[in-house]
Amino acid sequence: MIKIEGISKEFKEGIGSRKVKALEHLTLEIHKGEVFGFLGPNGAGKSTAIKILINLISPDIGYASIMGKDVSAKDTRRHVGYLPENPYFYDYLTAEELLWFGGRASGLSPSVIKERTNELLNRVNLQAARKRQLRTYSKGMVQRAGIALALIHDPDVVILDEPMSGLDPIGRKMVGDIMMELKAQGKTVFFSSHILTDIERFCNRVGIIVGGKLRLVDRLDNLLSGTATLENIFLKEVEKAGGGIEI
Amino acid sequence: MTAIWAIAVITFKEGIRNRAIYGISIFALLLLGANLLISSMIMQEVGKVAVDMALSTVSFAGLLLVLFVGINLMAKDLDKKTIYMVLSRPISRPQYILGKFFGMALLILATISILSIFAIISIFMVKLSYPGYFSRFSWPPILLAISFITISLILLSALTFLFASFSSTSFITLILTIVSYIIGQSIMDVKALVEAPQAVGIQVSPVTVKVVQAAYYIFPNLSIFDIKLQAAHGLPISLSYIFWAVSYGAVYTCLTIILASIIFRRREFP
Repeated sequence: MIKIEGISKEFKEGIGSRKVKALEHLTLEIHKGEVFGFLGPNGAGKSTAIKILINLISPDIGYASIMGKDVSAKDTRRHVGYLPENPYFYDYLTAEELLWFGGRASGLSPSVIKERTNELLNRVNLQAARKRQLRTYSKGMVQRAGIALALIHDPDVVILDEPMSGLDPIGRKMVGDIMMELKAQGKTVFFSSHILTDIERFCNRVGIIVGGKLRLVDRLDNLLSGTATLENIFLKEVEKAGGGIEI
Repeated sequence: MTAIWAIAVITFKEGIRNRAIYGISIFALLLLGANLLISSMIMQEVGKVAVDMALSTVSFAGLLLVLFVGINLMAKDLDKKTIYMVLSRPISRPQYILGKFFGMALLILATISILSIFAIISIFMVKLSYPGYFSRFSWPPILLAISFITISLILLSALTFLFASFSSTSFITLILTIVSYIIGQSIMDVKALVEAPQAVGIQVSPVTVKVVQAAYYIFPNLSIFDIKLQAAHGLPISLSYIFWAVSYGAVYTCLTIILASIIFRRREFP
């Protein structure tokens, strides 16, 4: 469903300064119906990998595809829902208008948009605030509007970058429930997080990325079959990568 | 096309609800209100002063709109990363630029239309008060002058998209737009001056002439859209002038947007 083959990406830190490797030979495959947790410390390269999948940046080398289509083709994104990390939307638009845009831009008819908007705003508990401008929303409400926007076109692949950030416990539960529903519907979910409990609760498979390199990919039940906890495994991988952690 | 239209609609809505637009409109309305007062103070060529003042107000308010609302509409997308939510849809980079540009053009059309109504009312009121000064007055040149102001603002707004497509901050876009506006307003006169310096008794080096000639072809010649003087004096404008000015505006705008799309296609959003 999602295929990343040998992707590397470097960024310049500033004009004339040295280059920083954000991703190094990342190869990863996520299968249909899987909920894949992309785990890594801050600055590990999680968002860079996701932005390559959405075609916001291009890899220096390597290839990525979703549902067999190159990620650089715009039609690939017809089947993909994306929630950026700390999303920011237009201040003066309402949630209803935001979803209208998402639906129209994805080719939905006005009647389908209306139906999906009602359904999703109910689901993320924003029905009462649907006609309020987004600048009046709290951080959690913006995050929930972002989740509704990512799902407006009923995508087959959902990519969520730190979906729980900025959410209160009720919001976290809501997003968790939505992920479980997507899993039950057979959707493919790829989400990044550095919150271990979220990964443990929702994922079939986990990938641990540190310093731009994928250190480990395995099924969650395999990883947790012994006495090891995900926290131990994660810390060990970070340590192996040379990123000392102070506890 | 649906995607371009969807971007244009949200750009227009985001722009028209921006509080800066109310500030600009109130400022313009105050100036138009002052038209009556100023005309009564001058008591010479009242008709020409009233028309010139009304058209200059519309033009200046439009310039503020492009500089402070227009630039922000795209710059905010880049600064605040709102662009992620747009480009994560099945939308290409050129479609994004086109959609944004159409939204901005709609915003200019709507704002200038409203301000023009007030400008026309202010001229009409001065005309009612001092009919003796309006012997050579006619409305069509005024409407044509407003249309030309609109075309020049849309062209300037296309330039803001070009600058935003490669600059890293909105401040750079703002500076480049202001510089282009100033050069665009004066380049025709400067070119005429450096090409015939003996007329005013100055010497100009050949390099300067070449630089000015290059600038003349690179920067938009905005002065051709300034027909406020003709409108104020009720002078006729030839059809061929209208045709060439509109064609120049359309071709320059299209080329600018195409160039912006080409540059934007390669841009990354880390």
